[in-house]
Amino acid sequence: MDSAEGILNGGVLRGGWRLTGILRLLNGTQTLGRSRSFWSAVGLVLVIASIFGITSNPFQIGNAAYFLVWTFMALGLCVMWGYAGILSFGQTAFFGLAGYAYSVITINFGDSSGLTLMALLVSLGVTAMFAGFVGYFMFYGGVTDVFVAIITLATTLVFETFLAQTAGPEWSIGKARLNGFNGMTGMPQLAIRWLGSEVRLDGRLLFFVLLVAVTVVYLGLRILVNSRFGRALVAIRENPLRAAMLGFNVRAHQLVAFVIGSTLAGLSGVMYVAWGQYITPSSMGLYSAVLPVIWVAVGGRKDLTAALIGTLVVLYLSQALAIYGSQYALVLLGAILLAVVMLAPDGFVVSAARGLLKWRHTTVLGRRRTDPAESSKKHADAR
Amino acid sequence: MALIAFLYQFADSFAFLVLCAAGLAIIFGMMGVINLAHGEFIMLGAYATAISAHLGIPLPLAMACGTVAAAGAGIILERLVIRHLYGRPLDSIIATWAISLIASQGMLIIAGPTIPGIATPLGSFAIGNLTFSTYRILLVGAALCVLGSLYYLFVHTRYGIYARATIQAPDMARALGLNTDIVYCATFGLGAGLAGLAGALYAPTMTLVPTMGAGFVIPAFITVIVGGGDVLTGTAPAAGILGIAQSALTFKYGTLIGQVGLLLAVILAIRVLPRGISEWIARRAS
Amino acid sequence: MHPTTIQSARERTMRIEPMMKCLMITLLCSLCLIGTAALAVETPIKIGLLEDSTGDFAAAGIPKVHGVELAVAEINAHGGVLGRKLEIIYYDTQSDNRRYQEFARRVIYQDKVDVLFGAFSSASREAVRPIVDQAKQLYFYNNEYEGGVCDKNVFFSGEVPDQVLSKLVPWTMDRFGKNVYTIAADYNFGQISAEWIRKFVAEHHGKMVGQEFIPLSVSQFNQTISNIQAAKPDILMTLMIGANQVSFFQQAAAANLTTPMASFVNGPTFYEHKQLPPPAMNNMYIAANYMEELDTPENHAFVGRWHAKYPNEKYISQVGEDSYVGVYLYVKGVEKAGTTEKAAVIKALESGGMCVNAPEGQVCVDPKTHHTSHTISLMQVLPNHSLKRLEVWKGVQPSWLAEAGCDLTKHADQSQYTPSNPPSRK
Repeated sequence: MDSAEGILNGGVLRGGWRLTGILRLLNGTQTLGRSRSFWSAVGLVLVIASIFGITSNPFQIGNAAYFLVWTFMALGLCVMWGYAGILSFGQTAFFGLAGYAYSVITINFGDSSGLTLMALLVSLGVTAMFAGFVGYFMFYGGVTDVFVAIITLATTLVFETFLAQTAGPEWSIGKARLNGFNGMTGMPQLAIRWLGSEVRLDGRLLFFVLLVAVTVVYLGLRILVNSRFGRALVAIRENPLRAAMLGFNVRAHQLVAFVIGSTLAGLSGVMYVAWGQYITPSSMGLYSAVLPVIWVAVGGRKDLTAALIGTLVVLYLSQALAIYGSQYALVLLGAILLAVVMLAPDGFVVSAARGLLKWRHTTVLGRRRTDPAESSKKHADAR
Repeated sequence: MALIAFLYQFADSFAFLVLCAAGLAIIFGMMGVINLAHGEFIMLGAYATAISAHLGIPLPLAMACGTVAAAGAGIILERLVIRHLYGRPLDSIIATWAISLIASQGMLIIAGPTIPGIATPLGSFAIGNLTFSTYRILLVGAALCVLGSLYYLFVHTRYGIYARATIQAPDMARALGLNTDIVYCATFGLGAGLAGLAGALYAPTMTLVPTMGAGFVIPAFITVIVGGGDVLTGTAPAAGILGIAQSALTFKYGTLIGQVGLLLAVILAIRVLPRGISEWIARRAS
Repeated sequence: MHPTTIQSARERTMRIEPMMKCLMITLLCSLCLIGTAALAVETPIKIGLLEDSTGDFAAAGIPKVHGVELAVAEINAHGGVLGRKLEIIYYDTQSDNRRYQEFARRVIYQDKVDVLFGAFSSASREAVRPIVDQAKQLYFYNNEYEGGVCDKNVFFSGEVPDQVLSKLVPWTMDRFGKNVYTIAADYNFGQISAEWIRKFVAEHHGKMVGQEFIPLSVSQFNQTISNIQAAKPDILMTLMIGANQVSFFQQAAAANLTTPMASFVNGPTFYEHKQLPPPAMNNMYIAANYMEELDTPENHAFVGRWHAKYPNEKYISQVGEDSYVGVYLYVKGVEKAGTTEKAAVIKALESGGMCVNAPEGQVCVDPKTHHTSHTISLMQVLPNHSLKRLEVWKGVQPSWLAEAGCDLTKHADQSQYTPSNPPSRK
């Protein structure tokens, strides 16, 4: 039971390879939102999103797709940080690595559907490998807590500093010039083969592909964190020493969580390039590195749904502030974030969910107290 | 000749890292608050110094003003926000980042994108055909002074004993009658004041813009992390090691390798000493 | 009924009908004309503006916004363009490249602007350009940059390195000596400008005694200063970008570095001679197309108008004047084309002789490359940081890109070229 593979396999297979067993994990105890009304709400949201995707104008669709691009990074950080207790400031490093890898591959090899999809997979593979390397370096070297944060932050800054000075013509990989601080442009969008012809994923199509991808990743992660593997992560987060003494391979679990979270950041990177055909080193700088931590923390890092909602809300809010808040936009954003962390330290979505549950609970209780059958029974007993 | 130049670079690097990191070593290293607004305390110290100097106050006094202004801001912040965040390091990340955003962009709105700077005092001296700024030697002296004063403060004064007691075992300290609230407040103010001092000291050498703190934050954090919790057995040796790494690499290969090399040195240092230098020294000592 | 009566009745009706038809058509036409005229008078010409009023580049972005606003106010006070007023739709991009991507899309597809102005750093321009090219949006980039962009949809009102260095490098070498040392920010603009310096130094039979490329985050320059002193150059060319790097000048002055300095970057855009305390910028020789201190009647009038509208402006920088000039160039194009339709305006701007009398002097559009010719002034910074103009060159053309093969009047293009990667001759 020591290898990472063994843990994953054992965890998932424990319920048997039955679909119901796996689906039951969707409603495990590690994630908020298990009732029928929750899942109905999820369905409703998807329906509304689809209607929006069909009816709105190209700008709104592109903007919505842009917001969805960042969710993978946030969900990955939620798994790493909220569930496994690994605070990584390096999501942007893997974002950038995958984005640049996709750019280099597609500029060199072309933009047909097979190639763009291959570029996507290869970029994710490269990111996962590098994440494995960094994770191994850290966790098997006994680095924990805030030191992980600093190492990952240093990693993303090294990437940024190095890439920012690659402006000269000597800095090219094949046909692709890294182009330093100005960044790379001209990458093709993703394409798929549909009914025999090449279809570029832009605008509406990209939005729907992203919507499906986010849903799949979200559901998949729900299953993951509720499985034995996920519960082990939480145990490790709460008390690594105790988990180790109970026989869990702490370092292997942390490594796997780190690789999963970082590869999801890489997925965001590729999608960002596919959306905007542009990437610069500044997307790996200090300001960019702190942003995912803020999104996830504001929503509620210990829950996937909270992190997802929080990310979308903060992204939308900061854009709205930039449009309507003029020069006060950033000050207002800071003030709102400060208020959230002071008033709702577990994340505003988690606090809201708790408030909602409490309201339902008291309402139900209240109703029961005034139930006529109950009260007449009480009277009967009292006599 | 080259050796003298190198020693000057190293001493300057060391001083920069010590002065950057001293305040953060107290706030983060001792109190456990991850203060992403550290750069803004530095900026506040620099701005207050520059504004005082332009009002006619002599420079040393203006620097004192800067330090006090930052310390005051720190105390206010502690009372309003930080004291709710002890024991919650991850929440302190968001809170202090939000404060840093409010402070730097707020300063942009209030004072504009830049304010006039202060001239570097004390002129220069020559060794051979190279000339050096005398003021930077003073900065090295200031760094050593700060280390010495902190040692004296934490080891030989009553406040120092109270502070260390509160931070090591707050419940016990409270049980023994210490007002831990005041101790926390004063210690945070001390950390903020040290950051302001760094800003005040570097103000005559830099352009004064609201985002100037950003250039100090990373060096401060990496020095404190590599050093570990204790200011004296941690920050000072860390500044020394990282200072040598950076100045040697810059000397031989230029500033890019110096910057990248510094970050890589940090990664290596944390890997080799996962709990920081001070813990390693503590373990060797016991 | 009598057939002739019916016949004549029909004839009478038929005679009236054409007249009625004519009347009705005339009436309809006049209504249409009045309608469209009314509509045209009402709909303003929309200028989309994306600049950084907050964040790291605020010091550059704020004057750029003011420059566009001042130009628009002046033009509207004189009746607008083609009878229509100009309207600015502005978004603060917060010095964040992602905001440029978000708001460029918004301003093009949602606000549907007639022309897009904006971006300061080359990175942000490169974020916007793919969006602009995809939408075939007319776009003005209004500050100096590293040069080389040959794009059908884009016009440049700022200067480029080959333009200004072709004057600055020979002038300083003739005055001070042949040994040149360059310190530059380590990214595209710094590296390409340094390449141009090398080229002009070689052409003028000089010697590069040293070159240093410094990352943008560095703020302490002891080693650099020692390196410069060890190399003993006659001139120090500086290309320092950003608040961190500009600290170099103070530190160099404190270390008593006396080498004469020359730059086309430090001074014009971030007004270092106003930010830094004297004598940090003493002995600096600036080549720029515009500085607030230019001593001409046109400029004094311009500065007066600017300060009347913006009394708290810290400094009217070159990028502010470039943005002001950009608006006038666009308006000239629209007036020549007689419409705001983008392709027509581009064609009008390419027709040659499209010049405006800017506060700096005359600025003309080069049809082949969409860049502009400028008046380059050489100013000396004195110990008290006042400026003294020593030399003027009028009508300096941005010749390299056209000579290297960019001709947008003949073939549309969307690429950026550098001296080591020129457009291949077609």
